[in-house]
Amino acid sequence: MTPAPVSRRTLPWLLFAAAGLVLLLAPRFLDRGSLNDVWNVAFGVILACSWNILGGFAGQVSIGYSAFIGIGAYTTVLLALKGVDPYLTLPLSALLAAVFAVLIGLPAFRLRGPYFTIVTIGVSEAVRVFASGVSFTGGSSGLRMPAGSFDFSVNYASMVALALAVIALTAALSRSPFGAALGAIRQDIDAAEALGIDSTRFKLGAHAISAALVAVAGSLYAINFQYVAPGSVFDFRLSLSIVLMPIIGGVGTLAGPVLGAVIFSYLQIKLLTIPALRDSYLFIYGGLLILVMLFEPKGIVGLWNRLAASVRRSPGGSDAR
Amino acid sequence: MQELREVLLNTLLAAGLYATMSYGLAVIYGVMRIINLAHAGLMMLAAYVTFALYTRYEMDPFLSLVVVIPLFFLLGVLLHRFVVRRLPRTTGTPTMQSLLLLFGVWLVLQNLAYALWTGDTQSILTPYTLKSVTLLGVRVGVPNLLVFGVSALSLLALNFVLKRTYLGRAIRAVTQNRDAALLSGIDADRLSAITFGAGTAFAAIAGTSLSTLYAFTPDFGRSFLLKAFCIIVLGGMESFTGVAAGALVLAFLENALAAWTPIPTSFQDAISFTLLVLVLVAVPQGLPGIARKVARWRASS
Repeated sequence: MTPAPVSRRTLPWLLFAAAGLVLLLAPRFLDRGSLNDVWNVAFGVILACSWNILGGFAGQVSIGYSAFIGIGAYTTVLLALKGVDPYLTLPLSALLAAVFAVLIGLPAFRLRGPYFTIVTIGVSEAVRVFASGVSFTGGSSGLRMPAGSFDFSVNYASMVALALAVIALTAALSRSPFGAALGAIRQDIDAAEALGIDSTRFKLGAHAISAALVAVAGSLYAINFQYVAPGSVFDFRLSLSIVLMPIIGGVGTLAGPVLGAVIFSYLQIKLLTIPALRDSYLFIYGGLLILVMLFEPKGIVGLWNRLAASVRRSPGGSDAR
Repeated sequence: MQELREVLLNTLLAAGLYATMSYGLAVIYGVMRIINLAHAGLMMLAAYVTFALYTRYEMDPFLSLVVVIPLFFLLGVLLHRFVVRRLPRTTGTPTMQSLLLLFGVWLVLQNLAYALWTGDTQSILTPYTLKSVTLLGVRVGVPNLLVFGVSALSLLALNFVLKRTYLGRAIRAVTQNRDAALLSGIDADRLSAITFGAGTAFAAIAGTSLSTLYAFTPDFGRSFLLKAFCIIVLGGMESFTGVAAGALVLAFLENALAAWTPIPTSFQDAISFTLLVLVLVAVPQGLPGIARKVARWRASS
């Protein structure tokens, strides 16, 4: 094999940058419908990769992330109604979600494994009940953004840029000491503690970071749809899809959540247009969850690795390297 | 005085249903160390089956338990045989894998209900649904009384099985010390299948009971699952008297807060969740833990 002009470490980054550039320039050559699809996929990628920081790297599976989308969306809409420029509200969305994530995490992270997961279902349920009960969220009818000049291209660029940033961030995190600590917590929390890792602090950090990113996505979501209601942003199904994307792709891996988000968002877009399948998406979600859990808990990435390993082992198969 | 009597009676009635709901979850957790998230879906499905039997064959909801209980026992055994059994064996703590697997089962059940009965809100209206009687000076709905009767009967039956039969002794043995029980020759696979069937049957009893009290949709059951989970955590996960005590505590808190505080009833579901977090953080061993602490404190003073 001829020596590669770029090293194996920089090649993925170059490919990533090229793909990012193409996506950011896409409005010049793609129609609005396709851009909408890309927007949806980018939204999914942000949610999946952010969730993966806590759920994948640290192994703390939370089924309550719609709360953060809701916090972000409501922060933006409520402030926009007060006359603040929607895009200026993004930092506050992130901050509020991070604070909420820490507040919830303080009691919840005393629990391990499935007990933590159950509490997160409770949190999302309580937040939803609260949000539909109080008046400032607009109740079940929701709130509309003030009529203004909405520009899809700005929203598109923000969403895609954020998705790219989140992918880069998770890649950087996974190689950092912070990511290593999260990995230690996932593998054996007692051993990690014995090594001097303050597991609660790291879990809180991961929770806050991922919550902040998800909240910003929630803000952009609200800006795009110009409307927010407890039934849409605090929906349990939203929490569910956030968990499903990384699980389908491969929990705790870098490529998994991106892959999962692309497949999942694409499936969802396609399914919603087929009337016969529109009512059976829970079958598909549930069925996928069952299949992945029974046969390959590491998702598509795990399946790929297994296939690659068996090809490498078999004498007929040519060595990839 | 009147108000207190009302709260206490309502607490008792609600606690019966809550306990039934929770035992199904507790027995599966005890034997298999699985948190059965599909419990909510099974309750919902039982409500719909009861509804179908009522509308199709005019079968009384409480009478339909004769059909529903064996049906759901069988469903539980099949679910165990074809899905749950394929999980890797766990000892000790429950795995994320089993939790998410049963979560998937829950979603499939929900979609099944959507497909068969659409997403419309349904309710069962029998001639006695709106009737009530006066008991100890408190007006109580007839369905609530019947539900309490069903719960009491099923709890008595469960108690009998657990205390007096080989099967019950085996279940208790595995719950208390899994390894020792398996070493003494208990057929774990068969026991797990029966346990899963029994847990599912209890979910069905709860579901049928709920269907006579509340309107339901395929999304029904999530708040009750959280309540049941709160109760078994409060009751100490494995103790059967603890579960009954946990059900009483939660039911009392809900009724007392509704009667004596201005908290709107729409926030009622949040009570169980708040209690759950408080208990998990403050006394992870639940009520038995508190009882032990009190006993130790009295012994030392």
